[in-house]
Amino acid sequence: MSVVGERIKANSTALIWQWVFLGLIFLVSLIIPWIVSPLWVRIITEILMWAGLAQSWNIIGGYTGYLSFGHGAFFGMGAYVTGIAMMNLEWPFGVGLLLSGIMAALLAVVIGYPTLRLRGAYFAIATWAFGEMIRQIALILEITGGAFGMQLPAFLNLPFFYYVTLGITGLTYLTTYLLLERSRFGYKLLAIREHEEAAEMVGVDTVVIKMKAFALSAFFPGVFGGIYAYWVTYIHPDSVFGAIITDFMVVMAFLGGIGSLWGPFLGAVVVQLVNRILWLTWGEGTFYLVIIGAAICGVVLFIPNGIVGLLEARIFSPREALSQLRKMVKW
Amino acid sequence: MLLQAHELTISFGGLTAVDRLSLTVEKGMILGIIGPNGSGKTTFFNLVTGMYAPDSGKVIFNGKNITGLRPHRIAQLGIGRTFQIPAPFSKMTVLQNVMVGTFIHASTMKAAKGKAWEILEMVRLDEKAEQQVVNVTLEDRKRLELARALATEPILLLLDEVMSGLTPAEAKAAIELIQTFRTQGLTMIIVEHVMDIILSLCDRVAVLNYGRKIAEDTPNQIVNNQEVIRAYLGERYSARN
Repeated sequence: MSVVGERIKANSTALIWQWVFLGLIFLVSLIIPWIVSPLWVRIITEILMWAGLAQSWNIIGGYTGYLSFGHGAFFGMGAYVTGIAMMNLEWPFGVGLLLSGIMAALLAVVIGYPTLRLRGAYFAIATWAFGEMIRQIALILEITGGAFGMQLPAFLNLPFFYYVTLGITGLTYLTTYLLLERSRFGYKLLAIREHEEAAEMVGVDTVVIKMKAFALSAFFPGVFGGIYAYWVTYIHPDSVFGAIITDFMVVMAFLGGIGSLWGPFLGAVVVQLVNRILWLTWGEGTFYLVIIGAAICGVVLFIPNGIVGLLEARIFSPREALSQLRKMVKW
Repeated sequence: MLLQAHELTISFGGLTAVDRLSLTVEKGMILGIIGPNGSGKTTFFNLVTGMYAPDSGKVIFNGKNITGLRPHRIAQLGIGRTFQIPAPFSKMTVLQNVMVGTFIHASTMKAAKGKAWEILEMVRLDEKAEQQVVNVTLEDRKRLELARALATEPILLLLDEVMSGLTPAEAKAAIELIQTFRTQGLTMIIVEHVMDIILSLCDRVAVLNYGRKIAEDTPNQIVNNQEVIRAYLGERYSARN
């Protein structure tokens, strides 16, 4: 009993420190636009957006175990919905964002209904095909501006976009924490990922639960798409529906560690920082794709549980690192 | 009559895995199902739990026709099952595995946790509760299968070879456990190869061969049934007795 008591006590102390740490990060994040240069505000905003996107993908890809390769469609859908709401309907930005999220979630239900009964590579291929289909539709529709793209009203206020992104990303992580890490819904998702038939046998309505997870994981990318559209003021099917959007979400989540709360965040920080530092050093180019490609190979081969997995294995303590290395490399 | 399977038939390609199979289970009894490998025992479980829909025939449970219902609905109505090869949620703890089962009746996480602890104590897995499933032994995984099925608070429990792969001592502990379930009034269908277990636990035994029921009787009558001996038990077994 006393051992259990002490363990609970130790846990709660660690928990308090976690909250203090989070509170500090939150305070720092509030003053960032006033202490760093506009360039870095922009880079940090991008990192935050990717952190939110990677986490959204993680809901279906990491927690539920369904690797979606069509998530760019939800981002693009959100970008266009906000664009159309602001330009054609002259609705305010906030309403556009909400509508973007809802429309993306609805699109997820439509795509998910036929595809969520597939597993593994088949689900990945089907979602990829759907994503590509949506991009083609955006290219020929009149309301999207087709291949000419769409111009939104210019609103050049970097701190505004920083705070909106911070808020939505915060909301994404809060939702993941409350709904997935510590609720019946989250446990059911994990059960589906680990053994779908067994989950059904203990009463989990897998069809409905998977659909909800897919819709939730599409809602936030929809909102981010809306923010992105207003931020960069010009959207085109190739930019907001591009395969690169999906690829980045997947890569960041995998690098950080799928199925964990902080993995996608760490992955987004690393990938986007590397991306931007290379860009600052060598200018516009595609060289960063080579590095990211190599990083994916490295992650898949050596650290399947991502950065979070490494942290949990205490690989960063020198002794543990050495013993792990001895296991991997025979000499 | 708690469960009534009527003329169940299902075929895969050209193979009729279960052929016009009728079985009934009364409340409180333990029915044993034996038969050679591939005789349709597990397929019968899959038909009852809704994993497969039968080509023809129907399943009546508790007065309700459950043929063609989805598995989670059937689980909610009160049929629990264990898998022959343990199918745990590997990257979750033992406790979390059982909690998923309790969600049918427990509406809060706290209630689910309480119920799950209760069940883990009953199957004596409480000391392993916080361990990841990947780190527990086969015996404990078998116990976990039981615990997770019990967590759904079933009226009828289908046990698919829960004792295969266990040492005699472990099997004995498992038999005692199943006997405590019986005293609590749980109705069970047991698929098992070890005849001693069938003889010591079951009220009635059905014998399947090529998807058909070739005999159904009390355990003592079954072991002397000539057709059963020919198809499954073998001459040596009958000589031994």
